[in-house]
Amino acid sequence: MKPKLIIGIVSIIVFTSLLMYNFGNSISTYVNFEEAEARTSSHVVGTWDSTGEYGFSRDTMQFSFHMKDRAGNVRKVIYPRPKPNNFEQATQLVVIGEMRNNVFYANEMLMKCPSKYNDSPDFEKASTIES
Amino acid sequence: MIAEAGRWFLNFAFLFSVCSMGLYAFASVRNNKKVERISNWFWGFKGVFVLGASIALIYLIMTHQFQYYYVWNYTSLDLETKYLFSAFYGGQEGSFMLWIFFAFFVGLGLIAWTRKPYRAPVMFVMAMTQFFLLSMIIGWDFGFTKIGASPFRTIAQEMPNAPFLQANPDFVPQDGTGLNDLLKSPWMMIHPPIIFVGFSMMTVPFAFAIASLWTKTYHGWIRPALPWTLAANLSLLTAIFLGGYWAYETLSFGGYWAWDPVENASLVPWLIGTAGIHAMIIQRKSRRAHKASLFFAILAYVSIIYQTFLTRSGVLADQSVHSFVDLGLYNQLLAFILAVTIMGIGFYLYRYKELPTPDKESKFLSREFMTFTGAMLLFILGLVIILGTSSPILGKLFVDNPTPPEIQFYNNWSMPIAIIMALATVIGQYLFWERHSWESLAGELITPLLITSTVSVVSIVLGNVTSIYYMIYIFAGWFTVIGNGTVLVRLLRKNPKLVGGTITHIGFGLLLLGIIASSVYTVPMLDPQTTNYNTRIEQGEVFDDEGFPITQKVEMFELKINQPKLLNEKYMVTYEGYELTNSPRPGQQNYRLRFEPIDGGEVFYMSPEVYPMLTSSGPNGVDWSVDPHVRTGMIKDIYLYVAGSKYVEQRNEEFERNAQNESMMPVGNQEEEQTEEQEDSQIIELSRGETKSVGPFAFTFRNFVPASEEALPENTQIGIRSLVHIEHESSGRAFEAEPLFAVYTEDDRIYTYSPPIEIQEWDMNVLFSKVRPESDTIELTVYGLDENFEEDWVLVVAEQKPFVSVVWLGTFMLMAGFSISIFRHWAREKNTVEKN
Repeated sequence: MKPKLIIGIVSIIVFTSLLMYNFGNSISTYVNFEEAEARTSSHVVGTWDSTGEYGFSRDTMQFSFHMKDRAGNVRKVIYPRPKPNNFEQATQLVVIGEMRNNVFYANEMLMKCPSKYNDSPDFEKASTIES
Repeated sequence: MIAEAGRWFLNFAFLFSVCSMGLYAFASVRNNKKVERISNWFWGFKGVFVLGASIALIYLIMTHQFQYYYVWNYTSLDLETKYLFSAFYGGQEGSFMLWIFFAFFVGLGLIAWTRKPYRAPVMFVMAMTQFFLLSMIIGWDFGFTKIGASPFRTIAQEMPNAPFLQANPDFVPQDGTGLNDLLKSPWMMIHPPIIFVGFSMMTVPFAFAIASLWTKTYHGWIRPALPWTLAANLSLLTAIFLGGYWAYETLSFGGYWAWDPVENASLVPWLIGTAGIHAMIIQRKSRRAHKASLFFAILAYVSIIYQTFLTRSGVLADQSVHSFVDLGLYNQLLAFILAVTIMGIGFYLYRYKELPTPDKESKFLSREFMTFTGAMLLFILGLVIILGTSSPILGKLFVDNPTPPEIQFYNNWSMPIAIIMALATVIGQYLFWERHSWESLAGELITPLLITSTVSVVSIVLGNVTSIYYMIYIFAGWFTVIGNGTVLVRLLRKNPKLVGGTITHIGFGLLLLGIIASSVYTVPMLDPQTTNYNTRIEQGEVFDDEGFPITQKVEMFELKINQPKLLNEKYMVTYEGYELTNSPRPGQQNYRLRFEPIDGGEVFYMSPEVYPMLTSSGPNGVDWSVDPHVRTGMIKDIYLYVAGSKYVEQRNEEFERNAQNESMMPVGNQEEEQTEEQEDSQIIELSRGETKSVGPFAFTFRNFVPASEEALPENTQIGIRSLVHIEHESSGRAFEAEPLFAVYTEDDRIYTYSPPIEIQEWDMNVLFSKVRPESDTIELTVYGLDENFEEDWVLVVAEQKPFVSVVWLGTFMLMAGFSISIFRHWAREKNTVEKN
């Protein structure tokens, strides 16, 4: 075999494995609140629990609400930005952050809204307006 | 009736596409000119039918026939005409139709301009893609299975189990659900058509590649295919730019790019298409890289269909923030992607041994090698992005229920690739026009390198760049701009027609610089208090009630009316109030923020907007949406939106109260409510011409007005009105009221009569309760004034983004470069066709 071919194959293998390794690390799995206790950063999927108190506090500049994950656990979630657009309409919420002392501190929040338009972004990240 | 016609048009279009596909295949195999002409006619008629169906759909939309699901779901009565028109391609079905329609025109162009050995097979491939696309919207229901989702289906067909339809099958909704407010933007009107023009044109290199494999003519196909590929790339680039610009101006995530699946869906075909252009240029110049140009031409289209599959089949729906309505097209889309892949890649592998191979390898220091490196890097970058976007499928190799990759994944891979690309563009461009040895190249590059180093050091110092990695990246960016700039200057002297590629590469360099400046060096604009607070959070000095350190920084600030705050030690910012307007959106508030640079620059105003989303707001609550204001500048943009305001809060509270009142109605006591109301009354004494501020309102007593007889009770002794001007100070909204005061006798007793005048907007009642003629003074009693009056306020999120302008400039240069190249290659191709 030509040495060039060997170099080529080796570099393809190295590149692919590096890429896949990095890809595997950069994705994570959706968990529920109980599983999130043991992790430093987690994605939790769920729905807004409208029975609990919710709203934006102008003293702490935080938005807090209760969320029910897919396993049925309800926890308080604190989000350091104003209430996102379409919050009440969202059929599904994804919060990304950390669980501390039974409270979930979300750094990011994504919402899935009933869309009126299939081919275009609804919202990238939570966009915000205070309640 | 019209819908029925539309349905038939689609059926005929589908049948004609099947016929033309078969006939073109026959014409290609037998090389039969006559059959080819017949199939051209079929192609033409198919286009007429698609046009008919489109007109039918537009007619249904324009005449508001809400019994049709598509019309009901995407439009409403109050939608402006231009948006009614764009609602035509607002949904999946309509956008397929638009795609088919553009591809039809591309086909007409191919029929007119393609030279001989390629025409029939190229048109066969075009007809095949039309067959698949049309199958998505014919809506044939065989009972056991369905093919496609018709845009002409009625709501009864869409929701057969809905109770209101079972009760009355002929039910026609009064109004549709309307178009998402965010999409009511001129950018969003032109964005989809341009993207589908790009998709349609990207079919052409694929079709030529197949035709070349079919006819075993591997050299000539790139000549006609190259201008089409360039044009497809230009369209995709324009569409990506429009989408990014729209996201930046309209959404509040604060940027033009978020590595979102939908954005990636348009970027990957562009990258692979660009890789294809590089390979085709090598093939054209040096008669090598045949394999690569075929491969990329096939792959560019495969990636379009693959991304179409990902975004429209519902695969991403579970994990993406985007809801893609699943129309049950999964199997059809899968069949489409498989057919295209097997046909393209399969045919390619089948012919692989026959494909021409160069006699000897190209040297490292040759234009072929450098251009090919560029193509491979573009391809690799495309693969990385496909991998990330495919996380719902490929992520399952690692975890159950995978999330999308972190943004960092894309950044970590694209940055080093971009750096190598940047260096390759300069060396490649030098070698493209002249042969060089290492020595001569080094000699040429000394001046550009010196300039680059100087400029890079200056930008690193000025920009306060600390990361070595970013320094290298910035150097690579400047090197691309300056190196290619030098080549450009030389080319302009020799032959200005050849500058397309060079301009594109300069644009790429500018893009690199603009991206890093605007994304890494974006800073939030905050007042000193918040900045201090954030510093303390950084140092771990802030704790919550339970003693845990707070880690989340605050990136917004509050402004009270007419109380300025200093932002980033640079701007004195004052909230001056808001204005309620009903245009273009009902219920919209325009906020007014005054920015005064403290170093004596020019004062300017920012006017972010907040408006209720009509499509999702119900009687029980308003869904507020923000429209940021971006102040564009050469050096930096200021991006700002109002994240909350007193007005919005009050409206929400009002809605909450109403919702509660409604539920209390059966047990509620009307009288109790009234006495409650009377408690918050206030008495205001005003002499003529005097203005008094009470709470947020200013009351001015202008004058007395005579009262007309009809409004007065019988036996009136005195009847007078007072003209009162009431102004809401922060919004500037004002009303004039003329409350009545009368004194009358009944059964010899004296009564006063002062009926309340209601100002609905403020939930306020004004009574003219006393008059003192001796001092020319009146007394007003006002109900509904909040005693715990609070000053008007807004919550503001603001960011300073440096050099977004450079991102746009880079994009425009890419567009310009592509356009120049299209003309050049098109002119050449036309010459050869005419000579033949």
